[in-house]
Amino acid sequence: MPKPAIILIGADKGGVGKTTVARTLLDYFGARHTPTRAFDTEWPRGTLKRFHPDVTKVLDVTSVSDQMKIFDTVSSTEARVTVIDVRAGLLSSTLQALSNIGFIELGKTGQITLAMFHILGPSIASLEEIAEITRFVGDANYFLVKNHINETSFFEWEPATYKSYFKQIKGVEEITIPKLNEMACEQVEVAGIPYASFVANKNTKGETANYSFVLRGYVRHWLGQVWGEFDRVKLVDLVSPKSEKNIRQAAG
Amino acid sequence: MSSRNSVAIITSPRPRVGKTLLARLLTDFHLQEGRPVAAFDLNAGEGTLAQFLPEHVTRSSIDDLKGQMALFDCLMTEDDATKIVDLGQVSFERFFTLAFQFGLAEEARRRGIVPMLLYLMSPDRRSVEAYRDLCRRLPEAMLAPVHNEIFGVAQYGNKYVPIGSGTVIVRLPLLAANVRKYVERPPFSFAASKAAAFDVDAYIELKHWLQRIYREFRDLDLRILLAAPRHTPIQQSG
Repeated sequence: MPKPAIILIGADKGGVGKTTVARTLLDYFGARHTPTRAFDTEWPRGTLKRFHPDVTKVLDVTSVSDQMKIFDTVSSTEARVTVIDVRAGLLSSTLQALSNIGFIELGKTGQITLAMFHILGPSIASLEEIAEITRFVGDANYFLVKNHINETSFFEWEPATYKSYFKQIKGVEEITIPKLNEMACEQVEVAGIPYASFVANKNTKGETANYSFVLRGYVRHWLGQVWGEFDRVKLVDLVSPKSEKNIRQAAG
Repeated sequence: MSSRNSVAIITSPRPRVGKTLLARLLTDFHLQEGRPVAAFDLNAGEGTLAQFLPEHVTRSSIDDLKGQMALFDCLMTEDDATKIVDLGQVSFERFFTLAFQFGLAEEARRRGIVPMLLYLMSPDRRSVEAYRDLCRRLPEAMLAPVHNEIFGVAQYGNKYVPIGSGTVIVRLPLLAANVRKYVERPPFSFAASKAAAFDVDAYIELKHWLQRIYREFRDLDLRILLAAPRHTPIQQSG
């Protein structure tokens, strides 16, 4: 039994594209047939739920009963990976809650795999969160995600400042989400389906749709680049290190 | 007549090797046979395909999204019309980069469309390397090198290897000098040309020449019909 992995996706600012990253992750694990579930904390109406309704539950992460729904089921669920899209402004408090119920400790002792995807906003303020967050997560499995999907999220930090923050965390990996053509992006939003379904020309019911080949082509190329980033940081090894070992043992 | 949907891309990274002439002939061949055809011109300037056959050719550009959608979305439509693309050296790189990123070969296979490249051979290194590159990047397409006989009996050796079921080198025969003046000024359609506009000798020569090239096209048609999707693993775009 591989140990369960939890991926937290957060930022202290809204509009930096947390849900976009969550969606690419769900597509990524979906393509690899890794059983995955997701929690959308944008209660009561989650954006993530709209795109991945089958695997996503919307809940209120500030309520104790909903916290239990996530964490008490971690080892009993079929899903090997749990992706949590943490609502804007709730990252620190979610981490605090995780710490209080001993979850962070489980991650540190290796009983579960805990990974943090920290989506960076374009302003310097979001860098100051890093220090705060490392307090909880320690130095393991920490990913800083620069999201360029929209043209608007340009990065204006001064390189020296950025580096000084960056250095505070050991073993941090940087992930870059490249820009996606606006019109292609918009079409996927309108269709309300996973990126991978759009690429495969399928509608919400799984039937063949009639999306533009070119727009699908742009999403295909972009998604390939994003997945390339996940491959580069060896995300699959992180979420299923034991099963890999089992396979190798089984193979002799 | 029922035939498979196909996209013929006539190309070379070199200018003045006979791309537009071949594209005109292939378009006219379909018109003459009464088969639906849609041709796209990716060239600017003088003597382009669109100038020769204005009624049957769409001027295309792949510089922006709108142009890309107008061209590529149409190429991947299963409407029984053969698509012909005259792809000049200006758009050569961009076209194949996009085709590769979009996964054109895989999409074509899913839709039962046969993509075919008619590649005008020339002996220079750049052209040979670009051909090899295409073989590598589009392993599912039919690649037919074209020998334009205006360049004489050039020996290309094994520089250009045809790819796809039974594909061989296509010959574009040399057109006699006395006919050229009739066909080189746009607009001109081989399919619609009338005997009255020619010298008798020139007209006979033209018809003879057309027969030879049309025979090559009929051979290509057979190969398209026979083209079974090759079983190669789908590669994830990089």
